[in-house]
Amino acid sequence: MNETLLFLIPLLPLCCALLNMLVGMRLPRLFAETVAVSGVATAFVLTLLFWDYASGAGTRATLFTWLASGDLEIAFALHFDRLAAPMTLMVTGVATLIHLYAVGYMHGEQDYARFFGLLNLFVFAMLTIILADNLLVLFLGWEGVGLCSYGLIGFWYRKLDNARAGTKAFLVTRVGDVFLGIALLWLFALTGSLSIGVINAAAADLAPAVLLGLTLLLLLGACGKSAQLPLMTWLADAMAGPTPVSALIHAATMVTAGVYLLCRLFPLVSLSAAGMAVITAVGALTALYAATCALAQREIKRVLAYSTMSQVGFMFMAVGAGSVAGAMFHLLTHAFFKALLFMAAGCVIHLAGEENDLFRMGGLYRRGPVELFWIFLIGAVCLAGVPLTSGFFSKDAILLAVFTHPDPVYRLFWGIGVLTALLTALYTFRLVYLIFAGEPRGQGAPHPVSLAMRWPLWPLAGLALLGGGLNLPALVGGGERLHHWLGDLGGRTIAAAHSTELRLIALATALVLAGWAIAHWRYRRFAPPTEAALVQFLLHGWQADRLVDRLLVRPFTATAHFCSTGCDRGLFDGTLAGLASLAQRTGALLRRLATGRVSTSLSAFAWGLLVIAGWLLLQLASRGGHG
Amino acid sequence: MIVPFGHLLMFAASLFVLGLCCTLLRREIIMILIGVEIMLNAAALTLVGGAAYWQQSDGQVFVILLMAITAAEVAVALALVVYLKQRKGTLVADAFDRMSG
Amino acid sequence: MTLTTALPSFPWLSLLIFLPLAGALLCLLHHRQATECRWLALGTTLATFTVTVWLFCIHGEGAAGWLRYEEATWVGAYGIRYSLALDGIALLMVLLTALLQVVGVLLAWSVQRQTGLFLALLLTMESGLLGIFLAHDLVLFYLFWEIALIPMFFLIGVWGHERRRQAALKFFLYTLAGSLCMLVAIIALYLIHGEQTGHYSFLLSDLLQTRLTTAQEFWLFAGFLAAFAIKSPIVPLHTWLPDALTEAPAVGSVDLTGLLIKTGIYGLLRFAFPLFPVATATFLPILGVLALIGLFHAAWSAFRQDDIKRLLAYSSISHLGLVLLGLAAWTLTAWQGSLLLMVTHGITTGALFALVSMIRQRTGSRDLRQLGGLWSQAPCLSAFFLLFALASLGLPGLANFAGEILVLLGTFATHPFWAAFGMLGVVFAAAYMLRLVQGVLWGEPGPATAGAAAIADLDAREWLILVPLALITLWLGLYPAPLLRPLEQPVLALLGGLP
Repeated sequence: MNETLLFLIPLLPLCCALLNMLVGMRLPRLFAETVAVSGVATAFVLTLLFWDYASGAGTRATLFTWLASGDLEIAFALHFDRLAAPMTLMVTGVATLIHLYAVGYMHGEQDYARFFGLLNLFVFAMLTIILADNLLVLFLGWEGVGLCSYGLIGFWYRKLDNARAGTKAFLVTRVGDVFLGIALLWLFALTGSLSIGVINAAAADLAPAVLLGLTLLLLLGACGKSAQLPLMTWLADAMAGPTPVSALIHAATMVTAGVYLLCRLFPLVSLSAAGMAVITAVGALTALYAATCALAQREIKRVLAYSTMSQVGFMFMAVGAGSVAGAMFHLLTHAFFKALLFMAAGCVIHLAGEENDLFRMGGLYRRGPVELFWIFLIGAVCLAGVPLTSGFFSKDAILLAVFTHPDPVYRLFWGIGVLTALLTALYTFRLVYLIFAGEPRGQGAPHPVSLAMRWPLWPLAGLALLGGGLNLPALVGGGERLHHWLGDLGGRTIAAAHSTELRLIALATALVLAGWAIAHWRYRRFAPPTEAALVQFLLHGWQADRLVDRLLVRPFTATAHFCSTGCDRGLFDGTLAGLASLAQRTGALLRRLATGRVSTSLSAFAWGLLVIAGWLLLQLASRGGHG
Repeated sequence: MIVPFGHLLMFAASLFVLGLCCTLLRREIIMILIGVEIMLNAAALTLVGGAAYWQQSDGQVFVILLMAITAAEVAVALALVVYLKQRKGTLVADAFDRMSG
Repeated sequence: MTLTTALPSFPWLSLLIFLPLAGALLCLLHHRQATECRWLALGTTLATFTVTVWLFCIHGEGAAGWLRYEEATWVGAYGIRYSLALDGIALLMVLLTALLQVVGVLLAWSVQRQTGLFLALLLTMESGLLGIFLAHDLVLFYLFWEIALIPMFFLIGVWGHERRRQAALKFFLYTLAGSLCMLVAIIALYLIHGEQTGHYSFLLSDLLQTRLTTAQEFWLFAGFLAAFAIKSPIVPLHTWLPDALTEAPAVGSVDLTGLLIKTGIYGLLRFAFPLFPVATATFLPILGVLALIGLFHAAWSAFRQDDIKRLLAYSSISHLGLVLLGLAAWTLTAWQGSLLLMVTHGITTGALFALVSMIRQRTGSRDLRQLGGLWSQAPCLSAFFLLFALASLGLPGLANFAGEILVLLGTFATHPFWAAFGMLGVVFAAAYMLRLVQGVLWGEPGPATAGAAAIADLDAREWLILVPLALITLWLGLYPAPLLRPLEQPVLALLGGLP
């Protein structure tokens, strides 16, 4: 097969997106849905078919030159390699299931063509990020996912709050993009190329300070997309979008793009020890921050959003600890169980009668189909890291990597990670208890959950439970398949004594149990919510929005006001008005001379004549004097 | 030449000043026009005198041209005067000050 | 005045200039028959566009030196020649002009008052603009410069919106003051050159040979700069543009933002920079800083505007700041990016102005506070609006991004901090553009949108305007190479001039 066919993987969703956007509304609904689902599903099948291309050094394919100027030549080029392949498979696979789910979820929606068009476009952009061979094509996908996220968060645009949430997401992530963009410019200036391969190869020759600077810029770029500190404020608000969107974009795929970026450029990033420490620190702090916020949230999707932020923080920790394999492992398992949780949450919201508030749910175990409880529970135990689930193995691998890092400061990060793991278990079981335990507290009439919404959950549930098999540690007899598959792309090999590993596993198990115990004790019976200051503080995400508003938004608006009103209207136009009025006043003085009467003109004429005659006479006299 | 050239010039100059005074001091348009005519005639007289003095015909040619122009000017001007009289009922020049700035 | 072509080949460039002029004359003669005038104008602009496309097809590969040159003696006594020259840069600008004028005539279809006169002015302006980009003789250039200015004055002053008188006057006085400075500088340069060589000529290629003292260079450069800086507009000389753009009729806004302000930048790189290399070298760092100030100042100002046209006007100034930044960087990539950005900005912002006029026709408002929820009423119009707004905020894959990233890549090589700040401007662009999109498209219908009984979606003429522009936006976003190729040689030649 021709390797250019690799372009089919991203382009199929693109074509389906365009088809849906252009003519989707004129075609029957079934057609639009079929187009959307089949585009992504075909991409999934193609990824499987092309799997062999990824082995070894991978396969590059070039479509055509995008930009060329002097030495600069940037092509639309793909690189399908061992890092990209599992990611592609995950994205297309999860996206297929979510598309199927969306067919059911958006059943009553009139504007389906726009929805499926944007969803497909998102898959295209995400695949572009994954498969990009150079940073500019990556940037294309990077902004593309931002755009789709914008469009889909604000999908129900009639409510201005939704549109605002979309705008906020776009703007905050774009702040991150600026740093990525600067890194891109700098890398081009340094290496003369934007190809990821060339950059990674040339990274070894760069000065340490430059490497640190680049790492920090890339980190900030990644933070924007992945909602890490300090650019995390958009993710919780992004839950205004439809649930399939939250599942696909804000849980499984787009928010992990930052992690993927750092993994892609790992050869460069890993050269700066200080940079790696900062990455770990950002990951650890975000994980803790988001976990504490998740403890106090009232809306089911916001809990999941903060938990996503927290889990992506774990992935950042893995990258910072040098374990790309660990990051990718957690990325994949997280995609499975978090997509599962979001989709199950969508069903829960349906069942509770479009009720988002946890405090008005309750008792769904008896009210809804029992399978929903089990599915949600599977997602929850994976998230909490109950032993032998996928989340347990992947989180454990990260904590092990951080723990075994030679630098002592990483012990601190490990401590934060452990604390976060405890909090994770706590908020996860809080969620389960609040939704399913006790008596129903809401008034909403339950909506039935259609079959299309239910059955895509099962494959995901299976993957979430058994996903640990992807990279089962040697300790439990696994083959560490993902690590071996990634090979030299997988980062540091984690070597630890079996006793250490066992102790860590025991600790993790204890933490999960402790978390569950606290949740059981506290939330088994529903207690009315308290208004304590701490709860409010956590509920509002440590008042981060207010801080951003004070520090950035208000000064920005004030400067804007100064520029448009103070400068342009006041200074520049004022100066002009001053000049104009000066001219006018001079004119007013002069116009007194022009009476319009013939007599005035005539006498002026006579006087002028006199002056000229006098001057001529003087000339004559002086010439006569000389002569 | 019977009359000395100097006398002629003096005479033309006095005529010109008389015309100028008439133009500047009188208020009716008709009188201003007459003043202008007088000045023109003073100029014409100078030209004729000069032609005679230097024995060149250019001056006389010019005077004929001048007379033609004057006739045309008077025709237009008198028409204007009639029109202005109809519009404002007066011929005082200062009444027509619509050109004031 | 004698007009004989120096070259045996067909005078395509003269045809380009005189075709719209002839169309304008015919429109004037038949100005009572509005419909005929419309078709006539459309035919003329289409013919002009066809000629430019044809020129682009045969010269698309680009070459060193002139692609085409036409010359004739005009006022021999003073060494004024009718001399037209086409290189890759001019080719691009001519193409953009011809394209936008076709769009302009289609937009002007809805003009009801004095249609024939309106179209005649529009066509005259096209002649002037094409002349500016093609003139190789400085007097000819000045002539076209003024020919392009005067129709715009009338377009704004007669067919504009509420405050059209003030806006037109401000625009005219501002630009005239600048161009008079340039005229003085042109004449001074001509005299200096004549005294030096004994050969009095206004030809650019002759004047390039002039040896100037540093002081002379600075004064003459200042004269040229006055005209070009006002036209470009470089902050702080920009305040005429928001007023003029806001009050101009739709076509006027498209032409003003798409073409007229580009003439300032074109003049800088074609005349001011090569003629005065020493002064340019001193000025470039200042230009870079001014460009950045303009970029941010305008973006901030745009954020506060409630009038859509005003907002777009400031966004234009902001984009032009990036273009100027690229020029100041003085590298091939940055210049190619700047020139590409000039073209793409003309197309995307032109389309946005067209859309604003369509929205105004339907709702009677241009105020963000009055509009809203347009998507639910006119989805196709809204989709186009979103597309062009996204292109304008520099979304990769759409037209503006290609130019912007080239500018930034090129700038980073010489001035990393400029480029970093330029990148930051991208967020600013997103901030005001998303505010615009949110105010127009999303939310519940605002007072103006709800007030209008039923807002019709696009009609055939509007589709005809928007679809080609959208396709070009996509095309240039994904494959700008055809436009970059002819630029390479002339840009390299211009860049080489700096000591």
